[in-house]
Amino acid sequence: MAIDRRKVIEDMSKIEVLGGNNGLIEAFGVYVNQLPTSFWNSFADKLTRKVDPELYESTEYLLVNCGAECGYHTGYGIINCEEWNAIVKPMVESTEDVLHGAFAVFTAWGWANIEITELVPGEKMVVRAYDYYEADIVKYGATEMMSAYMIRGVSAAFMALAYAGKYDASGDKFNTFKCNQIKGIECGDAYGEFIVTKA
Amino acid sequence: MAEFKKITLELDHKFSPKESRHFINGTQSVFHCHHYTALYTQLAMDAGETKLLQASAEESFYNLLVSYYNNKCIEHIEDKISIACQYYSAMGLGLIDVKYLGDNSGKVISTNSHLEEGWIKKWGKFDKPVNFIGRGYVAAMFAAILKLPTGTFFVDENKSIVTGDNETVFRIFKK
Repeated sequence: MAIDRRKVIEDMSKIEVLGGNNGLIEAFGVYVNQLPTSFWNSFADKLTRKVDPELYESTEYLLVNCGAECGYHTGYGIINCEEWNAIVKPMVESTEDVLHGAFAVFTAWGWANIEITELVPGEKMVVRAYDYYEADIVKYGATEMMSAYMIRGVSAAFMALAYAGKYDASGDKFNTFKCNQIKGIECGDAYGEFIVTKA
Repeated sequence: MAEFKKITLELDHKFSPKESRHFINGTQSVFHCHHYTALYTQLAMDAGETKLLQASAEESFYNLLVSYYNNKCIEHIEDKISIACQYYSAMGLGLIDVKYLGDNSGKVISTNSHLEEGWIKKWGKFDKPVNFIGRGYVAAMFAAILKLPTGTFFVDENKSIVTGDNETVFRIFKK
């Protein structure tokens, strides 16, 4: 692997985004926000706990979908941005390097301390998250409900960016892959583990 | 004659390499995009849980503002309003301007909105207001400034960028 993950994290984590005179942050082809993680966790946690059990699966799907669309569009913006070109692109020799680099950026931006542990190009990817804000819903003990919806969505989207052909702004391709969470810090495991396969 | 000097928001941004987490003024924060905010909002609408989304926003933003006011010893109402408006922009949520703030009511105008302009960019205009996250922020701002608990104020929008108006108007009422 050509990606110097440590350097990518160190350099990309220093990027600060500030709102312009209009109070909007326009970067990576999207409007960016930097909100407290407690907001995202609070809504997802409360919604999934209170929803009718028959609707849980749909709610879970939609929460994962939020991450997938975000990951697909913003991910594309990231791997084409000036900072990526300056810091990561010189290390990239293959599509797989792009994926490793993208997960280093994923880490640098505070979504999760996450890396790829297994990759079968175009078929399967296993990622492991040693820390992630979505696990913060549990302060003591463990829940039976795996809740890293954003990580699942973004991981599947990154795989789609790598292997589902040219970027499609309409978003038809971001669900080419699906991601299942098989371990979770919020569930008492030492780390979160996620398996991405073709949908 | 004394010269009025506008207070400036200070942002202390730290990255914890061990945890890979970002903190702004001690509050853990994370980048997301307008797709994420728009889809969260759509999900809340589909689930009939817009009040939950608004309440989640209010609680989170209230803690952030109260913490800032306390840590910086900010007491004057003009300063508190100025900081709250600057914070809204610093998080990329857009522009807000407080037209008036009272014990029982208020009016806040937004001329730029992350959520609404992002919604329009993603799906086009919509036939009703959607800025529940903004409503939560405004409710939090009023409660934090007046040293009242969350849940004190009801907020709605009677004009909305997403419906085609050139500004969003938040109306605030004490419950």
